[in-house]
Parts: sequence; C-alpha cells; structure tokens
Amino acid sequence: MGFFDEPFDFNIAAEGRVEGIAKVTGAGKYSAEYKVEGLCHAVLVGSTIAAGTIKSINVANAKQVAGVIDIITHLNKPLVPGLADEAKIKEARLGFAVFHTDKIYFKGQPIALVVAETFEDATYAASLITATYEKTEAKVDFKEASNAIPLTSAGKDRGNLSALDSAVQVVEQEYNIKAEVHNPMEMHATIAEWKAPDKLKLFDKNQGVNNVQRTFSKLFAIPVDNIEVISEFVGGGFGSGLRVWPHTLACIMAAKQLNRPVKLMLTRPQMFYSVGYRPAAWQKIKLAANSDGKFIGMHHQAKNGTSVYENFNEGITRVARLIYNFENLKTEAATVPLNLSTPTWMRGPGDCTGDFAIESAIDELSYKLNIDPVALRIKNLALDKNPESGLPWSTNYINECIEKGASMINWSNRKSTPSQLKEGDWSVGYGMAVGAWNAGRGTASAAIQMQRDGSITVQTAMTDIGTGTGISMQNIAHERTGIAKNKIKIELGNSNLPPAPSQGGSNGLSSIGGAVVSATEMLKSKLAEYAASQNDAYKGAAVNDILLSDTGISLKNANNLFISYASIWDKNKLDILEVEASSGPGAERQKYAFCSSAAHFCKVKVNVKTGKVKLERMVTVADGGKIISEKAAANQMSGAAVGGIGMALMEEQLVDEKLDSLVANDFAGYHFPVNADAPIIEVAFINKPDPNINPQGSKGLGEVGIIGTAAAIANAIYNATGKRLRDLPITPDKVLLA
Amino acid sequence: MRPFLFSKSTAANQAIAKKKSNTQFIAGGTNLVDLMKKHIANPDNLVDISSALPNKVENTAQGVSIGAMMRNSATATDPTILAKFPLVSKAILAGASPQIRNMASMGGNLLQRTRCPYFYDVTTPCNKRQPGSGCSAISGENRMSAVVGHSPQCIAVHPSDLCVALAALDATVKVMDKSNKTQSIAFKDFHRLPDNNPEKDNNLPADALIQSINLSNNNFAKNCSYVKLRDRDSYAFALISVAAALNLNGNKIIEARLASGGVAHKPWRWLEAEQFLKGKEATIANFEAAANIATKGLKPQMHNAFKIPMLKGAIETALKQCLNP
Amino acid sequence: MKQEYNFSRRFFLKTSSALGALAFIPRGVKAFYEDVKNYIIPTKEQIPLKVSINKKSYAIKADTRTTLLDLLREDLNLTGAKKGCDHGQCGACTVHIDGQRVLSCLTLAATLPGKEVTTIEGLANGDQLHPMQEAFIQCDGFQCGYCTPGQIMSAVACVNEGHTKSVAEIKEFMSGNLCRCGAYNGIVESIQKVAAQ
Repeated sequence: MGFFDEPFDFNIAAEGRVEGIAKVTGAGKYSAEYKVEGLCHAVLVGSTIAAGTIKSINVANAKQVAGVIDIITHLNKPLVPGLADEAKIKEARLGFAVFHTDKIYFKGQPIALVVAETFEDATYAASLITATYEKTEAKVDFKEASNAIPLTSAGKDRGNLSALDSAVQVVEQEYNIKAEVHNPMEMHATIAEWKAPDKLKLFDKNQGVNNVQRTFSKLFAIPVDNIEVISEFVGGGFGSGLRVWPHTLACIMAAKQLNRPVKLMLTRPQMFYSVGYRPAAWQKIKLAANSDGKFIGMHHQAKNGTSVYENFNEGITRVARLIYNFENLKTEAATVPLNLSTPTWMRGPGDCTGDFAIESAIDELSYKLNIDPVALRIKNLALDKNPESGLPWSTNYINECIEKGASMINWSNRKSTPSQLKEGDWSVGYGMAVGAWNAGRGTASAAIQMQRDGSITVQTAMTDIGTGTGISMQNIAHERTGIAKNKIKIELGNSNLPPAPSQGGSNGLSSIGGAVVSATEMLKSKLAEYAASQNDAYKGAAVNDILLSDTGISLKNANNLFISYASIWDKNKLDILEVEASSGPGAERQKYAFCSSAAHFCKVKVNVKTGKVKLERMVTVADGGKIISEKAAANQMSGAAVGGIGMALMEEQLVDEKLDSLVANDFAGYHFPVNADAPIIEVAFINKPDPNINPQGSKGLGEVGIIGTAAAIANAIYNATGKRLRDLPITPDKVLLA
Repeated sequence: MRPFLFSKSTAANQAIAKKKSNTQFIAGGTNLVDLMKKHIANPDNLVDISSALPNKVENTAQGVSIGAMMRNSATATDPTILAKFPLVSKAILAGASPQIRNMASMGGNLLQRTRCPYFYDVTTPCNKRQPGSGCSAISGENRMSAVVGHSPQCIAVHPSDLCVALAALDATVKVMDKSNKTQSIAFKDFHRLPDNNPEKDNNLPADALIQSINLSNNNFAKNCSYVKLRDRDSYAFALISVAAALNLNGNKIIEARLASGGVAHKPWRWLEAEQFLKGKEATIANFEAAANIATKGLKPQMHNAFKIPMLKGAIETALKQCLNP
Repeated sequence: MKQEYNFSRRFFLKTSSALGALAFIPRGVKAFYEDVKNYIIPTKEQIPLKVSINKKSYAIKADTRTTLLDLLREDLNLTGAKKGCDHGQCGACTVHIDGQRVLSCLTLAATLPGKEVTTIEGLANGDQLHPMQEAFIQCDGFQCGYCTPGQIMSAVACVNEGHTKSVAEIKEFMSGNLCRCGAYNGIVESIQKVAAQ
C-alpha cells in the first residue's frame, strides 16, 4: 500500500506534494474510509450529567432497533487485560478508562457504545439509550474555580522581583483566554479488526502510529508487532492525535466483543470533549523596564483548566524563559480541575497562550516608554544564548525575522499614537509580536528500497498530518541521491514501516529528515560495496565521494567508473536492495540551544460603529533553518496565521456554568476562520540552515506560525482604536464595549 | 434519525392530502435533515415537495411572485429580483453558504427554526423543543439571544436573513390549505413572538403549504442595503443584521424601511424609527437619531447588552450604505 | 439484511391494545411511561432507488434515512466526499447535483432519482485531471487534504458561477468550505489560476 495505487501519471505529482493526486482526486483513504469485509458501525452515547455515578442504563429500547448487534457499557465490557484491576487502570494512564467505571467526570463521557449493521441504525439506537445517575456537584466555571487554587513556582527564580519596583515603567495586567478546540476537519475515527485473538489491525486517525501500537500492546497484553496501525492519510490534528483517546479503545473493545470489525467515527459535537482542547487560561504579567527600554524583569503567573481525573499542565510560562533577557524573573503556575474532559497540547501549546500575554504587555510598555515596539523587542532579545540554560543558540535569527517583517508591512506607516488613521467609520492600525519555540528532534528511522531501474521507495512509520512530511522526505532523498523526484516514492503512516516518533511539537521533519539522510548514505555505501566487486576503486569509498544518478553509481573525481544499477543487480542477482537507518539527536544538544522563531505583523481595520475587526494584511516571517519544501512550509506558516486569527478574534468554547456543560459545540456555534476572514497571508523565511540541529539543517515550523499572531492582532487593534483588549477572543462585542 | 416513510408529491394538493399525523414536508432539507439527525424533528412520514411547488419568479400586476420552491441562490441572481428588489438578493447572499443557498427553498427559508444552541442540544431544557421543560438560554449563554419581543418562556431569535428583507419590504406569503384554498398572510403576521407557545414559530395554518412569496412594486430598489454582523466574516448567523431601504426624492426621505435579524423571535421592524425618518433629510444626524429611536427600550439578556450599541451602529451603517449602495 | 426485530411501526401505532398493554407496567417504572414514544420503535424503511452518480447508474435499496454522503461513503465506496460535521456546517461533503454545488450530508438519498450527482471521483476525465485539481496541486491548495475534495467541487462551481472577479469575491464565495489547516492562500490562488484560463 502506498500513495501511488492510483492509476495516474506519476510525473504530474512531481510538481506538488507526493500525495497530491491522491488528495485532489479523493482517492487517498482516511481512517474511516477503508473497505473492510463484515464491518459494523459504532456510535458512542454520552453521559448527560457532569459529575456523579451511573445508577442504571436503559438499553432495552435501543436493543429493539433493527440492526443493533450489541451495546457495550461498563456492565458488560470485554476483558482488557491492561485494565483488569484498579492498580492496572491507574498504571495505564489513560485518563479515565472507558467503560471501566461507573463514575462520571464530565458531561458527554461515554457510557455506552451501540454497534449496529448500519450507521443509521446505530445512531438511532444511541438516541434511545437513557441512564439514571446519582448526581454530585460539578465544577465547570474556570474563573470561579481558579480563585481557590494557589500558584506554585514554575521554574527557577532569576534575580529578585523587588528590582521591578525601581523601574521607570511597569505594566501590570491580567489576561484571559477561553478554551479553544483543535477541530481538525476529519473527525477522529477508528476501524478496529481483530485478525486473530492476539492480532489487531487498526485504521486510526492519530499523529503517531507507534504510540498507538505501544498503548494497545500494553492494554491487551499482546506483542507490539501483533498490532498494525495504518494512518496513511490524517485529516489534520494540531495536537488532538498525539494521545490515544477513549473512543479508540472503545472501538477495539467492541471489535473484540463482537469478533467483527467495527468502525467508530466521533460526531462533531463529540470532538469537543473527546480528543482534548486548548484549556482556558488566566495570566497576570508584571513587566518592568528602564526609561531606555531595557527590561528589568518580569513576573509571569498563569493558571490553566484541567479535568478532575487528570492533571494537565500546559506550561504557559515556559515561553517567558525563551525569547528575551530578563535578569529578574519569577514564573508561577497552577492547574484548575474542572468537570470537563482533559485538555491536551494544541498547536503552540503553552507558549501560544503565554506569548499572547507577554507580547501584549510588551506592546503596552512600548507606548508607555514611547519606544517603537519593534525597537523595544530587538533591544531585549536573548540573541546570543538561551537565557534559561545559558547554552549558546545554534542559530537564532529572530531579529532578522522582525526586521524583514517590518519592512514587508511598511511598518513606518504605523502611527506611534493610537487611533490616528481613519477611513470613514474604520480605524486603521498596525501591530506586531514575535514567537519562538524550543526546536526539538527525536530519533526516527527510515528505510529505502531500491529497484533495478534506480527508482527508490523511502519509508517511515511517521504520519503526515498535512505538514508536508512526504514531500520533504522526497526532497531530501532527491538532494542526497540525485535520483529524480519522479523515481522517489514515499510510504508513511504505517506501523509496519520503520518506527518514528509522533508528529508533533514541530519535531516531525527535524526527526525524520536525519533518518532519511542516514538511509541515503547507507544506500550509497551498500551500492559501493556491490560496485567494488566490479571495480576496486569503490572499495571503502567515503560516502561523500559516492555519486548516484537515475541510472547508476559513480565516484567523485574519477572518470569512467560509472556502473549501472542494472549491472549491479544482474551481477549480484539482486531483487530489491533494502537499507534501513536510524538517526537522532546527540552531543550537539549539550553544546547548543535550539529554537525556531517568527515575527508576525498585521494591519487591521476596526469599525468604530459596529466593533467589526478586519485583517487587511498579515505578514509572517520565520526562522525555520533551511526550508526543505518551500510551498509546504509557506502553506504551514500561512495556515498557522489563520489559526492565530481564529485565536485572536473568534475561537471560544462556550461553557454553561449552570448546566455544567459545553454549549454550541458545533461549527455553527464554534467559529474558526473561513476563507473570508483571512487576508492573503504574506510569508517569508530567513532560510539559513542550522548546522547542528540535524543533517538537513531544518527547524520545525508548526508552532511558531501561530505563537504571537494573536498578540500581533490585539496590538494592532490597540494601535487602531486605543482599546487594549486583554481577553481572547476579541469578538466585535468586546471591541464595542471596551 | 428515527425511521420514516418517504414519498414524493408532484402537486401541492396531492402533498397536502398525504399529510397524516406526524408528517413533514421536505423541500431543500437544509434545516429539516439537520433537525432529524439531532432527533429534534422525528416525523413518521416525509413528503418530498420539491416538485410540487412553483419555482419561478413571475411578474404580477402588483409586483412579483416568487415560487416557494425557488432556490435561494436562484432568487438572489434572478434579473427581476436584482432589478426591482435588490434588497432580497443582498439579504440572501449574506446568509449561509453558496452550497446551502443552492439547496434551500424560499418557502423553507421562512420556516427554518432558531439556531439557539439549547434548542439543538437535546440534553438541555428548551421550551421550544419540549414545551414546559424550561428555557436554558435565559440563565445561560445568551449572547446570541433576543433583545426585544422575548418572553419568560423563550428568548430565541429567528435565524433568517432573507426574512429580514421580506419584512422590510412588506411581503405577503401565499399559502394553500387542506381544502386547496389559498390565502395571503402579511409578512408581519407570518412569524410570531414566543409568548407562552414558543414551540410555534409562525402562523402557517396546520396542513398548509407555502405557495409563493409576493412583493409589491416599490421605490426602494435604488437605495437599499443589508448589513450583517457576525463572529466571522461569512457563513455564520447574525449577531445583528439590518435591512434598510430609503425612497428618496433628492435628499429627502419619502419613506424608510428598517428591519433587523438577530434581535427577536421574528424579523423585527423598527417602525418608530421609520416614521421618524419619513419626510426628513437623509443626513448622518437623522440616521443617528433614527438609530437611537430604534434602540430605545430594548431588553437585552445577561450576556448581550452589546447588541444595543451594535444595533445602533449597524442601523447607522446600513442607512449610510443606502446612499452609496 | 436480516431484520430480527422487524415488527411494524404501523402495527404499534394503530393497535391501541399495544399501547394499552403499557398500562400493566408497574407504576414504579416511571421512566418507562416517560419513554412511551420512544418505546414505539419504528422499523426502518428501505426503498429501491435508481441514482446516477458520475454518469454511472446505480440501482440500490436504501434506508430512507441515508444521506447522499453516507450512500457515497458507506455503500458505494466513493469516499472522496468527506464527513467533516454531518450537519451542513463545513462544506467538506460538497458535491454537484445537476451542476450545482450542494451539501451531500443534508441531501437524502431518497430525493436523488432523476438527478445527476457529480463527486470528486467524477471530476477528472479518465487519467486527465480537471484543471482545478491540477491547480490545487500546483498552488499547494491543501495540507491535510480532508476538506480538499469539497473545496475543489466548490471551486469548480465558484468559477462556473463567475464569482472570481476579485480575491474578496473568491473568498466570500468559498467561505462555505472550512479548512482548519488554513490553506486559504493556495485555494484562492488555484481558483484565480483556473478562472484566468
């Protein structure tokens, strides 16, 4: 199985992504789309209360529905060895073990799973299931609950906060951000099939097949290799696919119980409480500077919501220790347990939230100091070393990002006093902010299979959730081997392929790129070994001296030593030449600090009569090391900016504190940007390789695209109107009433 | 969805005759199918009326008659509508998405149900969905709710944009009942306020079918506008919308029409403000005064006091846009 | 398919004795009474349908509840149209019916006879991609690809409708198709490219 099962001309794909044709023709199969013999359909039923205990579940009506095969609840679940007793359940770290408790922690928590012959049967039957509960008091009001939770230290104090008292200018403000939901366009789905009592096949939406494989290996006490996880096409994630969630386990349990393949796709409302979300957050910033703009220090306090059954600390204050020099710094944090499902990492987790507060405060300070926000930032950047670890940056071009962005948006057109630019009822303003992210790298593996005609297939288990992993692997393999792109196939998102970390935290390409490079080197060495039997010059040839082409191998600086693949294959009676390599971080991590960064600039129009905010321009400049696939990278940056527009202006998970529940949990009630909300996003890259992070020199981009965008927009709204809005999202009503 | 019998009628009288207990007609289906999926509408019988009703815009002696089965998008681009009633086109294009407008019928647009989130959440009380169960919105998330005409039973708003324009233009709705008799209902009488029966959205007689929507010729085509404010730029329901139309003689307002969506259980006419503008000069000051009159005495909910300044701004903006449509 | 519980709804509705029988349920089971309506479990209705999809005729038997989207994805293995919300709020399921872009999730399969459905699978001419498909590849008008078939079907219609006079117009008339990856730059560029041809 690969991207190229479709009968299309392979050459067309070379212009775009490796999976381009599959995506534009609808031929690519996402997890719910595989045809499986004997498949039945499952639908989850959620609790209607937020806290308490299940007293009874009435499944009698549902069972009468034609086509219903079974209904699974905590009373009749199949045995899951890894959840056999309370101790094991705790050890499994699943949050809550679905169908293994009568306790209710949040509204919508699955209490039953209906399995039927058709989706229609299952959905209808699910609507007939009722339950009685013993209700207990539920807490869903983040603001109210957070008051009672004390802050604790989040990282080592630097200097002394009392130094802030001597500052010339201080900004001390609170910032509130409502919960946001990932809502990838593909709703999470699983097809589970037990091929044998100890052999499981999953088509599953996730961001890391090996993680899914390991989780279920433990839960069902079967070898990892007995579990096949296929996630070839993943319809977005943004973090929601980094964990294994209860619905996937529920689906596998049903397949076990029925001994039939089962498909479960979450409904869109279920997506709001089944696969995590960016938690609501409160922050307080005290930021102080000298009259020349030099930061004296900062006090950053943050709280984020979590569930009552799991502690999720988002790490909101982490970013306080990354971008600027603060001689005096104190960071404190707390989590606030609520009767809501557990939040999880969402694009730019923690940093995105923390950065909004810090970058808003810096903007506010710039007006107090009467120093241009661009200049104020450049003055205080920690450009030489990571201010926390003290390690020198391997590369850090955040200053260049700022300078380039300022030039692109014509920053000089900005007025240093707010509400100076008017167009009728519209006020025009400019804003900017920066973001950064610790650039990581994991250990990944890749294999290359070469055919006699010189075509190769590069494989990894890593998923491509839309970031362009596939095209980037192809680009790296092409650059390293010289083999034409249309002779390089990519296979990924399958646990049968060489293992790789989950695709998240901007680590995807950084991790797999090195593995692809290593595999190409191994391929060269292997081919040279075979070539040595025809020509001694190849014996022990250094990798860098070996050249490959579409048709054969040759040596640098040596004429007439070309040996065709065909002759190597024929002489050695080869079928397929296969190499596999693994690559990961090493000693460089002790020598250097690594970060990606970006600067975001925007021009907004605010209607003073109606509160409407319109993005006129949005400019994003990023330092992501060497850009491997320009189009895909720019796409990711502009897409992240669109996400930032959502965060700034509209995304909000509504919670009804009286009914203990989420409301408006669909796309009519939860707004994220449509095409009309975004201007054409202008993207640029610094595009200088980082020589130490990985062989290809690229740093991840997924997070920095969004970190800072919300602050840039809020800052522009201030510049346009003189209204400082510190609570997200900035919906028109807030603009109007401010 | 609950299982149901499906049939198709090719004539209105045939469809009405088919109507047994718990029967629903389906035309575009853009709201009904959604409601059925949510188990809010649970018909035993579904009758497809998409071939049973007129689907043309016809010129009449007084104006035009828009067939109930005209699709929203076809109406919005119809040359007669664009020439004589551009406000209708503007309002339609401010609503939903191109796909939904291609599906939705004109008659069905009038009958779409509220988008109050509690109405759609069957785990919460809602008097409109389940009479007597209570109103969750009154003490809950009521940012989108009504600011005028609401009752202690229901604070939901009507979601249509088209209907705001039709209200402004004093449309009439021609309906056919079980005995094949037709009658015309003035648009202001078509939708109702919630009072003690919020489960009833409108006064369409039982077993009756909308045949057409009729508009009388007017002098508003030159100076009309539709302003819609929402949480994003497109494909969202209104926080506030305003349909404004002016009949001008030079700069003098002969007649003004002002109606709003997102404020009440039905499309709302600002009659006092219209009256104020009559005979006045079309000036910013007069527009502001009219907006002030319209927004006086509104009764916002806990979370939507913003609708008053927003409405004021929207009315002013809409009236200004009438001068430069 | 076998229907073990195939008792007729009409039997239940018409036979008062069945409802009368409920009266013998012990008074304590209050929930039962509250659920009387639900207790009447109607049997599902299957109807024969002739539908034409991508110029291919299918004679099928469909549940009256089946939407065009589920018919395509579950019964006909045409999984190009995507389920992104199932409630008409995202546009991922966009197909053409008689040349008009519509949402297949809000279209009942039962209403299809006599109409021509075109899905993303029917857009290419054999191995020759539709210009809009080529443009989406060239302009990188997608990331994860899940909304892409819907975007492309909508984009083709957008060009046919003539709503391509400006970036703002394209954006407005493509706003019925949500893209969470935010690949709107490339989507607009693709449409401009095709519109210019």
